[in-house]
Amino acid sequence: MNFRNTWRACSSLFRIRMAEGLQYRVSAISGTMVGVFWALIECVLFTVFYTYSENGSWNNNGLSLPQAISYVWLAQGLFVLQSMNIDSEIMSKINNGDVGIELCRPMNLYTHWFVKSSAGKLGTSWIRGLATVLAGLLMPAGYALGGPASLPALFYFLLSAVMAFVLCSAFAMLVTAIRLNITWGDGPTYMLLLLSGILSGTYLPLRLWPDFMQTFLYLQPFGGFADIPLQLYIGSVAPAAALPGIGLQLLWSLIFIAAGRMIMKRRLHSIIVQGG
Amino acid sequence: MQIRLREIRKSFKVYKRPEGKWGLLRGAFMRNVTRVDALGGISFDIEEGELVGYIGPNGAGKSTSVKVMSGILTPDSGECTILGKIPWKHRVEHVSKIGVVFGQRSQLWWDVPVADSFDVLKDIYAIPPGDYRLRLSELSATLGVEALLRTPVRQLSLGQRMRCELVAALLHRPKLLFLDEPTIGLDAVSKLALRNFLKEENRKYGITMLLTTHDMDDIEALCQRVMVIGHGQLLYDGQLSGLQQKYAPEVVMKVNTDAMIAAMYNDLALG
Repeated sequence: MNFRNTWRACSSLFRIRMAEGLQYRVSAISGTMVGVFWALIECVLFTVFYTYSENGSWNNNGLSLPQAISYVWLAQGLFVLQSMNIDSEIMSKINNGDVGIELCRPMNLYTHWFVKSSAGKLGTSWIRGLATVLAGLLMPAGYALGGPASLPALFYFLLSAVMAFVLCSAFAMLVTAIRLNITWGDGPTYMLLLLSGILSGTYLPLRLWPDFMQTFLYLQPFGGFADIPLQLYIGSVAPAAALPGIGLQLLWSLIFIAAGRMIMKRRLHSIIVQGG
Repeated sequence: MQIRLREIRKSFKVYKRPEGKWGLLRGAFMRNVTRVDALGGISFDIEEGELVGYIGPNGAGKSTSVKVMSGILTPDSGECTILGKIPWKHRVEHVSKIGVVFGQRSQLWWDVPVADSFDVLKDIYAIPPGDYRLRLSELSATLGVEALLRTPVRQLSLGQRMRCELVAALLHRPKLLFLDEPTIGLDAVSKLALRNFLKEENRKYGITMLLTTHDMDDIEALCQRVMVIGHGQLLYDGQLSGLQQKYAPEVVMKVNTDAMIAAMYNDLALG
């Protein structure tokens, strides 16, 4: 199949999956409430730590309090890009053997599912992400999401956020490929997804982790989920350092895609289509 | 020769829990693995335009061989060429020329209108727009699904959904159609309509069809040739009448119950 046909098929799949996701409006509302709730708790915690730390030591950790609070809000907004579990449609197809139907489509299964799962994630969650960010902007001064550090910072943030979407999708697909080994159960996938969530900085900004870990934290793949775009926005990483960061996201995306494709190809040779 | 299978073998691992009082616990640490031969060396040929019934008891290996032929499963050994291609090696090319209907699975998107699913299939199979419109209107007219095209799949009845599944499987003009229990759970009227439709498609376009079913009326109405499979072996391959001569020579008359019930439904204006 040539490139143009694949592209048409992908955009068509993307559309139908988005349309499906948009039907679940209540989930977007409840998701927003959870996001806002979390962000507020973190804002309170950070305010306490920054205000009452010994000799104000928290203020010299490379991240000011307003920066930390902006980071928290945007992290909740970008959180929707990360997978908490494998795409439910794909998961049920693996479990009940409908993967057979997917294999009867003249398309590479990896490409097919990459499009499906990324669209599925975006379909249900872009409203939630935007609403959370909007709520952050409307908060009273001390807890509000501040503006970007500069105009280039905003530009690089947006670019990097798009890359974060690709990176998250690529990682989700790698986990899905691993999950194709049905007898392993859910354990390994949840461990991988939780680890990636922690190392993405969503729970605690990576800048606040111990100094000796910083090089590792910068080079590891999961910072690209949230930390790289967020630090670009709040200005703790200068726009001059943006391109290496985005390049890192791109590099890890390519690695994840290559690994995912390879594992999936191997699995398909020995796949067991469940059920009669 | 459109389909050619030679000595296809496929076995699966089956995990068994140890028996006894502590079996549950012991099973968590060590499992007994047994190999079960689903297909023990199957060979057959199917010509273009044939309509073949494929029958056998549950667990005989019917679905497994259909999966091998549709490129989903890789057999352990043996040769298989379909339309000149090896299904599992050239999967993408192969599946663009075949259609599949699994009675127990759906290939339509659950939450969106039927027509949207068809549109996606159009793009996946790269069907030219003109041909797509033509084929869609033809298929939906014969199967009577025009009125359903804007309905979400989840709100269709089983019979309506099966008809839509057939449209979905035939949109891209496959040369080969695999039907795995297409009439399962359908009422008499829908069954008869489905059979007539399949016969017509086979006659008009010469689509080769392989029909797996437990409903012998399906076979009788549609297939000149039946293949019987059991324990992964091909046990019989030939005319349906041959089976009758061998196993039921004294049967002289029977009532076509499906036709009878369908006539009743129509009479009561239920169909």
